[in-house]
This record gives sequence, C-alpha cells and structure tokens, in this order.
Amino acid sequence: MAKLPPDTSEDVGAKLEQELRRGIIVLATLSQLREPQYGYSLRQALAARGMPIEEGTLYPLLRRLEGQGLLASEWRIEDGPPRRYYKLSPHGETLFASLTQSWRGLVGIVDGLIDDEHTIRKRAST
Amino acid sequence: MTGQFAKPEALIESYVADVMKRLPTRQRNDVGFELRALLKEELRGRSADAGRLPDDEMTLQLLRGFGHPDEVAARYHPPGAPIIPANGTRAFAWASFIGVGLQWAGTLPAAMADLSAFGRWWTTYGLGALWWPGFLVTVTMIAAFVRQRWPAASDVWKPKLVDRDQINRPLYALGLAAALAGIGVWIALAWWAVTTTSDAPLAQVFAFDPGFLATRAPVVLLYWMASLVLLIVLILEGRWRDLTRMFDMGLKIACCMLLAWIAFGGRVFVAEATNAPVAGILSLLIIGLLADVAWTLWQRRERIRPPQDVPAQQGG
Repeated sequence: MAKLPPDTSEDVGAKLEQELRRGIIVLATLSQLREPQYGYSLRQALAARGMPIEEGTLYPLLRRLEGQGLLASEWRIEDGPPRRYYKLSPHGETLFASLTQSWRGLVGIVDGLIDDEHTIRKRAST
Repeated sequence: MTGQFAKPEALIESYVADVMKRLPTRQRNDVGFELRALLKEELRGRSADAGRLPDDEMTLQLLRGFGHPDEVAARYHPPGAPIIPANGTRAFAWASFIGVGLQWAGTLPAAMADLSAFGRWWTTYGLGALWWPGFLVTVTMIAAFVRQRWPAASDVWKPKLVDRDQINRPLYALGLAAALAGIGVWIALAWWAVTTTSDAPLAQVFAFDPGFLATRAPVVLLYWMASLVLLIVLILEGRWRDLTRMFDMGLKIACCMLLAWIAFGGRVFVAEATNAPVAGILSLLIIGLLADVAWTLWQRRERIRPPQDVPAQQGG
C-alpha cells in the first residue's frame, strides 16, 4: 500500500488554525445573540468583526444550540421574507457568562505561557 | 430578472429537498423552510457583491460550498451513538472474517467436486455462513445499548488480574481431586482388564495391549505422579514461582512427547474398535497442549518493551 505523503507545514498550520477557530465558534456565536439575529445577519455580523463562519457550519449550529436550550427563536416578517430570529435564552445567558469567564481565564493562561516562552528565547539570544 | 432567477431557485429547492429527506420527519419542514430562506438570502448577498444577477454557476458554487446534503443533514441532526465504536472496528472486522472463513473452510472442500455441488453449497452453507456477522452486529447493538443506558457501569476501568502468580486454591484442590479420581479410574480399569478372567464384552473392549502395559504405561504413571506433585506443591504454596512454572512447562512438553509415543508407538488396546480412535484422540490432545504451551509463553512475554530508539541506561 502506497504511503501517503506527510502533511506540509502549510497544511498542518491551516488545520491547526481551523481547529483553534472551531473551538471558539460557539462562544463567538453566542456573543452576537444577546440581541435577536437571523442566520444571514448573524453571519454578516461575525464576518464584519473578523470572524467569518461558513454558512454550512453556522446555520445548523444555531439549530443545535436551540435544541440544547441555549437559544430561543421565533419567526418574524419584517422588511422581507419570513426569517427565523435567534436570541440567547435565560439558560444561554448564564452559560454565555460562564463560557466568557472560562475564555478569559484561558486567554490569560495561554498568554502567560506564550510570554514566558518569548522571555526565555529573548534571554537565550542576548 | 424573474426568468433568470427561476433556475437558481429550482436548484435551491432541489438541494433543500435533498437535505430534508435525510432529516427526521419532525425536523424536516421547519429546517427546510428556514434553510431555503437562508440560501436565497445568501445568494442575493453574493449577487450583490458580484454586481450581477445570480446564475446557475453562482448558485451551484453556493450550494457546493454549503456541503453535501449528507453532511449538512448530519450537522443539523448529529448521528446517534455508534453501534461499533471506532476502536472496535478492527476487532469486529477480524471476528467477522475469521468466523465466515472458518465456516467456509469447513464446508467448501466437499463442494468442490462439481459445479452443481458448488451451487448447492453457495445457496446453503456459503450464504448461510453470513449469519455470523449478523449475530455479531446484534451483540454489538445490545452492547451499544448497554453502554448508552448505563454509561457509568461500562466506562469504569477494572483491572483484569493484579497478581498473575496467585492461584485459586479451592479450584486447584478440586482439580487435584478430579485428577486423583481420573487416575484411580484408569488404574482400576487397567487392573480389572488384566486380572479378570471373565469373557464379558467390556473386558474385551478395555483389554490393554501387553506391549503398552510393559513399556509405555509405567511412563504414564510416572507422568501422573509428577503432575500430582506439582499440583500439591502449588496448593501448599498458593502461588506460582519460576521453578514451578518451568516444571509445569517441562511437564507439558513431556506430556506431548509421551502422548505421541503412546499414539504412534504401538497398540494401546487389544480390540481393534477400541484402539482405532486412540491416535486421533491423542493427536487432538497434543494439539491442545501445544496451543496451551504457546498461549502460556505468549502470556509470559514482556508486554511493554522500550522502543528501539530509546538510548540504553548508563550504569545498569
């Protein structure tokens, strides 16, 4: 059986970055649903803030989060066709606050780890 | 504009229908209605960004980017618990192949005589052997249900055997009693067959060959004595030691040689009908013993070895 060529460093880098982003999609989505949004407007809002999420990932995610009781939704007809608007449910708000706290803690820890590494490298080079 | 948009709309309609039929019935309409609206909105957005009306190419690009209907449906409705967990796939495949292979190996040679026999084999044993993978699937389904229903019970790791050298004294004592009873029966049978003057059929059936009694039977007695000594020592000590393990291995190998000598070194019984199956039965016993020796050696191997690129430790 032919051996598959190893991933190039660019492939590996892209995959790892994708994994990193995948881990924060839920938090990013919840952050934008403190106010009601429908799928397309939410995607636009996230993209505008530098967090583009593929539609094929985002729209099913909204349904799953609703199924888990984190979002509430309703159909509305405003200036256009009927649209399903999503918003954090009370349970979602609690979880969002908790996830935000965890995220900030993690960012602080990882920043500390990265800064330590930078300091060690700087010391080694001088 | 309406005329040009009719085709992209039909494409979206067809795509949404494909996703919907892969979803659970209660989700279908709701998801389908929303998905169609979102895809149309996405298409309008792309059209505005490109500064041209949406066409087939733009629509297909959007839909293909969204994902295959199978994947999209899976994202909307995550699949349930797997029947065969990923770490059990290889074992399942091997168990299936070996089970079917053994059944075919046991029945196919007789059907190779002609084409009609092969045809009969295929419609009976050939296809019939596939009951085995079906049985395995049923068992794994039950196991998956148990795992899902009582996750805590099946997720807790339990050690299989902490001390491999410790023996189960009551079980070994039972084995000693059974061995003594068996030896007693054989000695009594031999003694009765040799000393009886009766012409009863049973005496003729179990009459030992004089050559066997003179040469091989005493060695059998010696082997039995050595085995009994080993069992008694094990029961007294309560555990295996290196010496007793070596002695046991030596006894098993000696037993194989002894059985081969008994089977092929001349007659065991006088009566042909009694003597005929001896070689076959003893050959099966030898195979069993050799398998046991191989299994014991496999069990005693060093399980965790340092990889080849680990440098040797200095000073010991």
